[in-house]
Amino acid sequence: MTMTRIFTFFISTMILFCVSVNAQNDSIPKAVNDSLVIKQKYGLRIAGDIGKLARSFLDDEYTGFEIAADFRLKKDLYIAGELGFEEKSTVNDYLDINTTGSYLKAGIDLNMYDNWLDMDNMIYAGFRVGASTFSHDLNSFTVYHTNQYWEPQYSSDEVQEFSGLTAFWGELILGMKVELFNNLYMGLNVQLKTLVTEKEPDNFQNVFIPGFGKTYDSSSIGTSYSYTLAYRIPLYKKAK
Amino acid sequence: MKKIKLIIIPIILLIVGISISCERDDICPESTSTTPNLIIDLYDSDNPDSSKNAYNMVVYGEDNDEILSDYESVTTNQLVLPLKTDANSTTYILHKDYSYDDNDTPDDTSDDIIGGNQDIITINYLTEEIYVSRACGYKTIYKSVEITVEDDGDNWIISTENLTDNEPIEDDYDTHFYIFH
Repeated sequence: MTMTRIFTFFISTMILFCVSVNAQNDSIPKAVNDSLVIKQKYGLRIAGDIGKLARSFLDDEYTGFEIAADFRLKKDLYIAGELGFEEKSTVNDYLDINTTGSYLKAGIDLNMYDNWLDMDNMIYAGFRVGASTFSHDLNSFTVYHTNQYWEPQYSSDEVQEFSGLTAFWGELILGMKVELFNNLYMGLNVQLKTLVTEKEPDNFQNVFIPGFGKTYDSSSIGTSYSYTLAYRIPLYKKAK
Repeated sequence: MKKIKLIIIPIILLIVGISISCERDDICPESTSTTPNLIIDLYDSDNPDSSKNAYNMVVYGEDNDEILSDYESVTTNQLVLPLKTDANSTTYILHKDYSYDDNDTPDDTSDDIIGGNQDIITINYLTEEIYVSRACGYKTIYKSVEITVEDDGDNWIISTENLTDNEPIEDDYDTHFYIFH
C-alpha cells in the first residue's frame, strides 16, 4: 500500500516537473532580441457594462445596459464614448414614477499611469459630454397634506406620460482599466456630472435622467459608476 | 510623479461632488408649502375692524366622527380648516359656546343637554393638483372658493367676507375669509 503511494507520488512529481520544464522552455524567446524597442498596441476597445447588467438582475426597480468604446489616439490619449439605455422606477409614499430613455456620451480619456515594459493598464481621468432623451410615466400619485383630518387624500391612478424630454450634461470620470488576458480588460470608473440644460415636464420634475442618474432638488450634480469588461481589437502597434 | 499630482485634482473634485450629492432630499420639509388649509378669521359684526373671540368653540366635519384637533372647546378668533382634497365641497359644524351636561347620568345619553349654538358652513371649491417636489409629491390648490352658511333660524354667524379676490388658495400664510359674528 505504502509502496503504491510512494510510486504514485514519484510519477506525479515527474510529470509535473516535465510540464514545468516544457513551459519554461516555451517562454524563453528563441531568438534573443536585445533592442529595447517596446511596441504598444493601438486599436478599438469595446466594452459592456457588467455592473449595470448585474444590477438589472438584482434590483427590481432598475434595468439598464451600456456599451462603451475607446480608441487610442496617442500614447496616453484616448477618444471615448458610451451608448446606453436605462429604465428606473422611483417610488415613495406620494409618487410612483417609471423613467425610460437612452443616452450618448462622448469625450476623452487621459492615461496617467506609467506602464512597465509592454503592459497596458490605465489609471485615467476623462471628460465627457452627455445627452439623453427620455420619458416619465407617472403611474400614480397621492396629494400631500400635513393635516390628515380628512382621509384619504386625493390620489390618481391614471397614468400620465411626460415624453420627449431631453437633458445635457458634462461629466468628469476617474477610473482604471486592467488587462486581465491578452486584449481583455476589466474596468472600473466613477463619474461626477453637472447638468447643463434639461427640458422640464409641465407640472412635474425630472427625478431621474438616463445616463445622468438621480437628480437632486438642491443641486445640479449627479453621480454614477461603471464596471466594465472590454475587448480590444488590435489594429496596429507603435513603439512606445 | 507629475502625473500623480495631476490625478489628485479630479479625486478631490469627485469627493466634494459625491458628498454634496449625498444629502437626503426624500423627506418633505415642514417649511415647504404643501396643500393649504382654509384660514378664517372671526371678526366683530358690530365693529368690523376688530377681531372677536368665540368661546368654547367646537369644530367638526360633517361625516367625520372626530372633533377637529385644536378645536375641542377652545376660545379662538381664527379657524384653520383642512379641506377635502378628493371632493369639491367640505361641510363643517361650528359649535359656539359649547357646554355639556350629562344630568348626572353618564351612561344615559338620551337626557344629555348640549348647550350653545351650532352653525353649519359648506365650503365649495374646485381642486387642482400642483407638483411640489419628489419628497412632497403633489399639493392640492383650491379655486373659486365660496362659503355658504346654512340658515337654521338662529345663526350666530351674521355674514362672511371672501378675501381671496377669486384667486386660488395656494398657501396658508394669510387669511382667506372673515366671519362676522
